[in-house]
Amino acid sequence: MKVFRVEGTLVATARIGNLDRHRLLVVQERASSSKQVAVDPVGCKPGDWVIAVGSSAARDAAGSKEYPSDLTIVGIIDYWEEDDPTDDAGTSGGAEAAS
Amino acid sequence: MNIQRVRSDLVATERVPGLRDKSLRVVEDGSGHLTVALDPVGAKTGDFVITIETSAARYAAGDYAIATDLTIGGIIDHWSEEHWRA
Repeated sequence: MKVFRVEGTLVATARIGNLDRHRLLVVQERASSSKQVAVDPVGCKPGDWVIAVGSSAARDAAGSKEYPSDLTIVGIIDYWEEDDPTDDAGTSGGAEAAS
Repeated sequence: MNIQRVRSDLVATERVPGLRDKSLRVVEDGSGHLTVALDPVGAKTGDFVITIETSAARYAAGDYAIATDLTIGGIIDHWSEEHWRA
């Protein structure tokens, strides 16, 4: 499972029929600048640190084997030591090493 | 399978039902990249472990219904940091 931070909700009204039921969120992987889209069956807020699964587990985690997800949030992390690694990778690396 | 080291426990109270009440650990690879693995073994911080990826991770978790893509398969008895750093 990878660690992501939630950026916000993604609205895509025209979507395939079986991609219903859950919200889509824009998430940013820890220590990376790339953004991805994840299915959210948990109910996250922007700024939450979350864990997400890929592979076939992403489909089941979204509620059924037929759900067409390849990245699904499976839990909200209660406490994560980094506060803001994505805005400035250099300083956050130092903060992490110091902790 | 990969060799990784357990960096800490991870607490995620709000989670999907597919993750059940399984223990989670933050693990790091030889280059320091962090991921999260399900732990059916009981590894402690600092242990070197074998991790199993993709759909095999679900079998490794003991039940294919568990929604994981990374599972700790075993704790390595003898391993050193020099062996491991990339």
